Amino acid sequence: MKINVMTDVLEANDRIAAANREIFNRNRNLVVNLMSSPGAGKTTLLERTAEALAGKAKLGVITGDIETSRDAERIEKHNIPAVQLTTGTACHLDANMVASAFPYLDLSRIDILIIENVGNLVCPAEFKVGEDCKVMILSVTEGDEKPLKYPLMFRESSLLLINKIDILPFTNFNMEEARANALKMNPELEILEVSCTTGQGIEEWVSWLTQCWQNRVESLRSA
Amino acid sequence: MAIAQNILDIAVAAAERGGAQKITRVNVVAGEMRAIVPPQLAFCFGVAAENTIASEAELNLEIVPVRGRCRGCGEDFAIKDFSYICPGCGGRDIEITGGTELRVRDIEVL
Ligand SMILES: Nc1nc2c(ncn2[C@@H]2O[C@H](COP(=O)(O)OP(=O)(O)OP(=O)(O)O)[C@@H](O)[C@H]2O)c(=O)[nH]1
Ligand SMILES: [Mg+2]
Ligand SMILES: [Zn+2]
Repeated sequence: MKINVMTDVLEANDRIAAANREIFNRNRNLVVNLMSSPGAGKTTLLERTAEALAGKAKLGVITGDIETSRDAERIEKHNIPAVQLTTGTACHLDANMVASAFPYLDLSRIDILIIENVGNLVCPAEFKVGEDCKVMILSVTEGDEKPLKYPLMFRESSLLLINKIDILPFTNFNMEEARANALKMNPELEILEVSCTTGQGIEEWVSWLTQCWQNRVESLRSA
Repeated sequence: MAIAQNILDIAVAAAERGGAQKITRVNVVAGEMRAIVPPQLAFCFGVAAENTIASEAELNLEIVPVRGRCRGCGEDFAIKDFSYICPGCGGRDIEITGGTELRVRDIEVL
């Protein structure tokens, strides 16, 4: 006998993500899901962002890793509330794991919440956590053909940060190719070139972020 | 792994609602965009299904190719090798119309 199901595989996760979204709405948080390969520079970007946002907007961070790491400690050094989640066998954060961080964060005192996902280009793109947008980092030590291999993440992202451009001359990364490949996957993708080491492009990234936050506050006000 | 577990949970819940004793087959529709690796998913599903009513179930994946529609000339076409270029007019403004889904379509039960 056949039983019709027609259920989205991620339905259970999406329901929790919608509940998270309600909580973020109530607390007026802009929530960014930050994704990349391992080591592309997510935590370093958060450190630079903490410095650049100081006095402008209140940042909060949830960071996920398969094993315990020091990412949250690195961020707390900048006087930013940060919660470290250890995912164990899961190679991504899902909506439920993100919700488990809420008791440890005062969301009412956060303007911009950035969720540092587990370093992985596949699964994190599948699991919504209640975010406003996804931002991904591609570092120039990875290949410029990455967008073709991991189309979903590029499609789902609003902004692509191409990081580590300080070492671009020492790599065979082709910037034109990378941009063209990324736009093939997602013609609406915005792209910024940055270096978290030299600070190049960080100002543009932070103004992109604060603009998103202002739009968010505006749309919550008129809702 | 989480995807396999979700598929199993959905299948078992549907079987229980239908009063079935055993699941023999789970039919999943997966868009190419989802970058599902079939052998990997089948393996994870097998592990997750141990000691459940789906322990002998076969996971069948129907892979749906990515399709696009040209916003310029309206042509509807299959996108091969991630080439997002309209075969009709060469336009690059393509709207994705298929191949992004990931769904349990139906289950076969005893
Ligand atoms: N040259 C250079 N190195 C960078 C830059 N940004 C980050 N790094 C280095 O890259 C390494 C990884 O940076 P992290 O910020 O820890 O990367 P991550 O994405 O948080 O890593 P995981 O959390 O382990 O996935 C560190 O050694 C950083 O110092 C950059 O712009 N240029
Ligand atoms: Mg990190
Ligand atoms: Zn066309």
